[in-house]
Order: sequence, then structure tokens, then C-alpha cells
Amino acid sequence: MAISKVIYDYVVSEENYGDRAEIIQEGTKGRWAFLVLEGEVKVKKKTPMGWLTVDTLKKGAILGEMALVTRGECIRTASVVAHGPVKIGVLDIDRIIKDFESLSPQLRTLLGVLITRLRESMNRLAVLVAKAAG
Amino acid sequence: MITQRQTSLPPVVRLRYKEGDLIVKQGDYGISIYKIIRGKVRVFRETGKKETNLAILGPGEVIGEMAFLNQEGESRSASVRAMTDTEVEVWHPARLAKEYEQMPPVIKLIADQVLGRLMKINILIGKLGEVLQEREPIESAPETPASARKFYRKQTDLDCSYRPLSGASKATYPGRIKDISLAGIGMEVNSVTAPQVVHHLGEEFHVSTTLPNNKDVEFIAKVVDVRKSRIPGRLFLGMAYVDLSEDSRKKLGFFMMP
Repeated sequence: MAISKVIYDYVVSEENYGDRAEIIQEGTKGRWAFLVLEGEVKVKKKTPMGWLTVDTLKKGAILGEMALVTRGECIRTASVVAHGPVKIGVLDIDRIIKDFESLSPQLRTLLGVLITRLRESMNRLAVLVAKAAG
Repeated sequence: MITQRQTSLPPVVRLRYKEGDLIVKQGDYGISIYKIIRGKVRVFRETGKKETNLAILGPGEVIGEMAFLNQEGESRSASVRAMTDTEVEVWHPARLAKEYEQMPPVIKLIADQVLGRLMKINILIGKLGEVLQEREPIESAPETPASARKFYRKQTDLDCSYRPLSGASKATYPGRIKDISLAGIGMEVNSVTAPQVVHHLGEEFHVSTTLPNNKDVEFIAKVVDVRKSRIPGRLFLGMAYVDLSEDSRKKLGFFMMP
């Protein structure tokens, strides 16, 4: 996915990671959102049966959307691990939150629900996978 | 019953439901979003006679967001029933659709990506759920008490024509549809100009009309209530759908959106 200039404008710094490097660790606190600039990352969740890859994200993908719901710091719902060499752009989360705040309360609620549903679904998937494996 | 809070179109309306009322019916068409103001609701999926609970939601929570975000014109994927007396705020989709499209690009990108991931994960959950259900049937809710579904009833005044199904005559008669819900219609007929028609309980009529948005709908409905209209010689028939095509249900669903 090509990254438009208007999105790239939100990048405040760039970071490089080697294969299998952990970019985000599940359960830790953080207040950043990231944009995948180059390469591919795996979104993984811890299950009693081991690590479950929930999704694979490529160039142009944004991570850390929960920060919109919590308006800043949040507990990471999943780990993000580099799959091959990866370049990540750290996004200006305060500017994104400001954009988010400019929406109507109804749209904010709607997007908040959407983001929360994704978190719930990831948790539910992990539980189901453990059940299916057990 | 309905409190209009905003005069500009399209409005935000508040609807009240009694304990046991169905708020959203699985399979119906509609992309309105409901925010629970007061009360508690149960979200469940119906498979045959089985009901599988998906969630219990309370004040501040939102129902129906996926149908809106999806916008593929798909029918409701689950039913929602009021567990207590419940009040909901209905957001008309047109209110939000324009704003959604005009969101700052970065927010739009996040929303689109989250939606895409969510749908992908939900498909996986569905598949895994089926596998697990085959292994051990998921516990289903006991059969719901036969509570009358309370439908949102839209007042209207539409010309229609109706034809009795009993008898050989193919003659049609004019009527007026005074209200429409997803369960049936209220139709006013002239018993003086249509003396040969039996307007008794249980009679079935083929009814066709054109909705104000120029969509033609037709269906077969049964008389479940007969009352004298205020106008002499006229009858008011409460009618329940017996046969409503998927296409007509869809058109009515969109027309019915509060």
C-alpha cells in the first residue's frame, strides 16, 4: 500500500528493526502509534498454547489505534514482531488525537466501539484457538 | 413513544422498548445505529430455534455499527432483545455517513484498517466457532417467552391496491395504507364500494403499493384485526404479512428507518 504524503506528514521519527525484533510487547504500556514504512510485521497474541499470529501487516498499516480510545497511554493488546527487516514510522499521536477530537461525539463513539471490538475479537480468537487446540 | 430531538433532517430519535421487545431482528435490513441510553439488551444469533447469546449490553453501548460500517447492504447479523425496559437513541446513518467520508485522512485510514482487520478476525472466529460447535454444541438460551414483537410503526398515508386471495375474481380494489411496520400494515378500505370483498379476520389479500421513495412493493397479508374507521363506511384492517419477498422486505426496511 502506498503511503500518501498527508499520512507521512504525521511521522515524527523512523526506526529500523531486524527480523524477529519485537516492536510492541503485549501487556506493556505505550502511547505511540506506528506506521509500517517498509517490510512486514506479525501481530501476535499470547495463548496458553503459545504465540498465535492474529494478522500480518504490510507497508501502510497503522498500529496502536487503541490510543484513540484511551486518548494516550494504553496497555498493548498484542505483540508486534518484525518479519524480516522493517522500517517503522512513529506517528504524532497528539496530532492524531486532536484530529479525532474534532469529530462529532457520535462518530467518536462509533470509532471507539470499532476499535474496542477489534481488541475484544482478538482476545476471543485467542481463547477459541486455545479451546480448539485443547 | 418517539421524541424528536432535532428538527434538521435526518433526525435523531429516541425509542422506548418494554422488557422482552425485539429491537433488531436478525435478517432484517437496516443500517441505523442504536445507542443504549437506559436499560439492558441481549444480543443473540438465531439458528433455527436455537438462540446463541453473543453479548449483554447496557447504557452507553452501541448496537448495529457493523451494518453501518460495512455498507454492503447486508442484513442484520444478529437479533437484539430488551432485557429490561430500554430506551435507545437511533442515529440515522445519513447523519454519520457524510462525516465518516470527510474525516481527516489519518483517522479514515485507521478506521478502514481497523474495520478490515476486525472483519478478517471475525471470519476466523466464525469458522473456529463452527468447528467447536460441531465438537460440543454451544449452550443455547432457553426458548424466549412468546413476547409480541413490538415493531417501530411508521405512520403514512399511501394509496395501495388489494386483491382477495379467496375467490376466483382477480379484481383489485383501492385502499390506503395508514401505517407500516416490519410485521404488517394498517390499511383503510371502503366497505361500501367493495361490498363483494369479505373483510373478515383471517382473510388474505395481495397488496401492492409504491413507497414515497418510488419503490414498488407487494406482499400477501392476513387480516388480524378489523375496526370501524372514523369515516362511515370505511374499515381499518390490521394486517400481518404472510408472504413478503426478500426484495420487498429490503425496500420496506430502508423506508422504515427512523
